[in-house]
Amino acid sequence: MDNVLTKSKDVTLLEVLDRVLEKGVVISGDMVISVADVDLIYLGLKVLLSSVETMERLRGSPFASPMQEPT
Amino acid sequence: MTINRIVETDFPEDFVEEIEKLQDALPRRIDANPKNVEKGLAKLVLTLIELIRKLLEKQAMRRVEAGSLSEEEIERVGETLMKLENKVRELKEIFGLKNEELNINLGPLGDLM
Amino acid sequence: MKIYVYGIIDSNKQVDEPVYGLEKARVYNIPFRDIGVVASDLTGLMPDVTEDNILAHEDVVESLMENFTVLPVKFLTVFDAKENILSMMGDYYTDFKDNLNRLRNKVEFGIKVIWPAEKIKEHITSCYWKSGWKEAVSDDSPIKRFIREKFEKYKIDKEFTEKANRLVTTIDIFLGKSAAEKKLEKLKTENLLLDGVYLVEKDKQSNFKEAFEHIRSARTDLRYLFSGPWPPYNFVILPRKYCQLRDSGRADISDKVIQHQGLVGADAI
Repeated sequence: MDNVLTKSKDVTLLEVLDRVLEKGVVISGDMVISVADVDLIYLGLKVLLSSVETMERLRGSPFASPMQEPT
Repeated sequence: MTINRIVETDFPEDFVEEIEKLQDALPRRIDANPKNVEKGLAKLVLTLIELIRKLLEKQAMRRVEAGSLSEEEIERVGETLMKLENKVRELKEIFGLKNEELNINLGPLGDLM
Repeated sequence: MKIYVYGIIDSNKQVDEPVYGLEKARVYNIPFRDIGVVASDLTGLMPDVTEDNILAHEDVVESLMENFTVLPVKFLTVFDAKENILSMMGDYYTDFKDNLNRLRNKVEFGIKVIWPAEKIKEHITSCYWKSGWKEAVSDDSPIKRFIREKFEKYKIDKEFTEKANRLVTTIDIFLGKSAAEKKLEKLKTENLLLDGVYLVEKDKQSNFKEAFEHIRSARTDLRYLFSGPWPPYNFVILPRKYCQLRDSGRADISDKVIQHQGLVGADAI
């Protein structure tokens, strides 16, 4: 009995959370809470590009085994 | 102050379960921490390889369905797909990555896969 | 002291009846031309993401729904000062106005539908074996058997997805009749056949509910979650004016963002 009531409360809260945390209008710079979308890929690609460069310099191959010591 | 919202269901447990599955998904963000750069790099590369592998597989299935592959072609395509699948599995083991980690969240566009 | 924002409304008048939000602070309207920003003062630190705070936020937005059209703002939207809010309003005024006009007298309803994915796949699988598709690929080599397995899975998934599409279309035919706009997501999980939100005019609410009841009694093999009326969380359309870049070395753009949007929340986190 208790369980069903708790779950009903949970479901209500989940529905509210989905709207209030995920769907509300974003108008300030609080992107840090939900680090956004395109920018993350931008960041990831930037890291990818610089690390590929570094790895190539250190080991002569972008896909060298992680166990190799840099020469 | 009146509260409007109704959230009504005969099966709250079922819905809680499904909604939690969606929120439980492993973090699929690209880790920009320099210490984990290699693993992050491997994740990114393997994600893209997985995407291509899945597309190739789907394409092959469509052709099998259409009956447009000869026995020999099926054999060759099958061998390629098998090898690709095994290679990806190997690389996942080497880098300690799980299936759920090979995905990228594109924000409003949803997940890559 | 910071300012916590709940939403944008289509009025520049003061909020008549006392409404209380986070920290039990009185909520007020910051007018900007013919619209306004509903806010309250925050004396403490950035609020935590707790059930109480979330519901306090949502309660404010819903009480506004009674008398205004409201564009609900994301939880934890905080500004340092009124000037920043007014500056932000300057940038977004037209977008907000357009949305307020489009969403006037409309409310949002959520419909989620669960179906028995396992059972359905089992049924499809048995049909698959009966239909003779297994002859499509012979099994006289390990590679052929590999392909055959893949093919079976492909056929079953394909039929599963098509069945889902057909069922969602049927459901939507009924619900869509009383809706102005909608957003439907199919198969977010295998069991979650549909996660849909519908934008419904206030005076068509009962038609919409009737349509839902009709489906519910017609398809008792499915499980339903009905929620609403909500403020139009899923139907505000805003262009992304600026790329939000942080710590990525694009200082020129970051500055622009700070200037134009009163970037504050980031530091407090």
